[in-house]
Amino acid sequence: MLDRESTFAHPAIAELLKTEFVPVAIDQANQRRQKDTEGVFYRKIAAQSPRNDFEQTTQGFYVADANGRLFFYNNNRDPEKLLRLMRKSLSDFDSNSSAQAAPLTAESVDSRFQQQPPEGGLVLRVHTKVLDGYPPTDDPWRKIFQQAIGRDNLWISDQEHEQLRQGRLAESLLQRIARFHLVDNTRGEPPMWKQDEIRQLECELVDGRLRGKVQLQTADGQRGYEAQLLGELWVRDGSVVRFDLVCLGEFWGQGRFTGGAPEGRFPLAVTFTLADGSDMADAVPPQGARGWLAGYCQQCAQ
Amino acid sequence: MRSLSGLVLTMLLAINCLQADELTQERFDQLLQEVQPAKDAMWRTIPWNISLLDAQRQAVEQRKPIFIWAMDGNPLGCT
Repeated sequence: MLDRESTFAHPAIAELLKTEFVPVAIDQANQRRQKDTEGVFYRKIAAQSPRNDFEQTTQGFYVADANGRLFFYNNNRDPEKLLRLMRKSLSDFDSNSSAQAAPLTAESVDSRFQQQPPEGGLVLRVHTKVLDGYPPTDDPWRKIFQQAIGRDNLWISDQEHEQLRQGRLAESLLQRIARFHLVDNTRGEPPMWKQDEIRQLECELVDGRLRGKVQLQTADGQRGYEAQLLGELWVRDGSVVRFDLVCLGEFWGQGRFTGGAPEGRFPLAVTFTLADGSDMADAVPPQGARGWLAGYCQQCAQ
Repeated sequence: MRSLSGLVLTMLLAINCLQADELTQERFDQLLQEVQPAKDAMWRTIPWNISLLDAQRQAVEQRKPIFIWAMDGNPLGCT
């Protein structure tokens, strides 16, 4: 979140990435564990950095050549420092050596981490925003968090897609929305909801109009979300052409990696809309499926 | 007195509880528009790959170094 609005909002960095580098964005929790060609290549690069314990996070910025030779590792968000390191790496880079590297092909694929959307299913973009409740601040980093919009994707199975075509909302889909997507991911990786934390979940779909309410709460009551749901489902010639859903309500609490939430209850909105593949993030697997696609999709079979 | 204490209680609750609006059709339309990342945000103009192998192959072809943005959670997604 912070990187998007600071490091990669720097015009010189963005320009260099567009013209002089091949940029790639990854969830390193996958690559550092993957037992396949991509994982081996990532660990070859990361092993040359201080982040060479693959039992721990290896997050940060790396610049390497196609042979896997590391030029620098940096985990500091100061754009000017990163810019200096990028420019230095360009002067050290040998384009001939890189051109002689063999293009890697996926000789092995670790299916635990190489997740693809369900065939015949749908992908919805999920966006989240805290609408109010933060105290005023002059701190630019806090401001970024306070104005942040979280992004995730919802995967819908082929069976659920078929039900939507028939104007019905599968219970499995509703449960997945509640457990994995009605979360506050605006300040980092959020905790998802456990099955027994769904206290109430009602939703009806009548003539393409979806309306419902949800109550989610941890056993200790420290985190929760009480909200209304409103949606529109349009099916034309047997195809889902619109599936917009908005969840609006009061959230409270925070998770281990989402500290700094407003005090008490605060309004949180979560919106869903069909992904058409035109956004670079449309292909990113859902956060709730991270290393656990079967669990995320488990609801599909119920 | 009873109504006064009720008023005070209501005010105290209001301080600790920022209520969400009623989810009307108008609010629904507004939120669909409002809760979206800016299309012209600088980081979105960068042609990010999401596969390191694709990036490696491009690096060979284009004779460029690879810039890896590695986070906990996909940086184009939830973090």
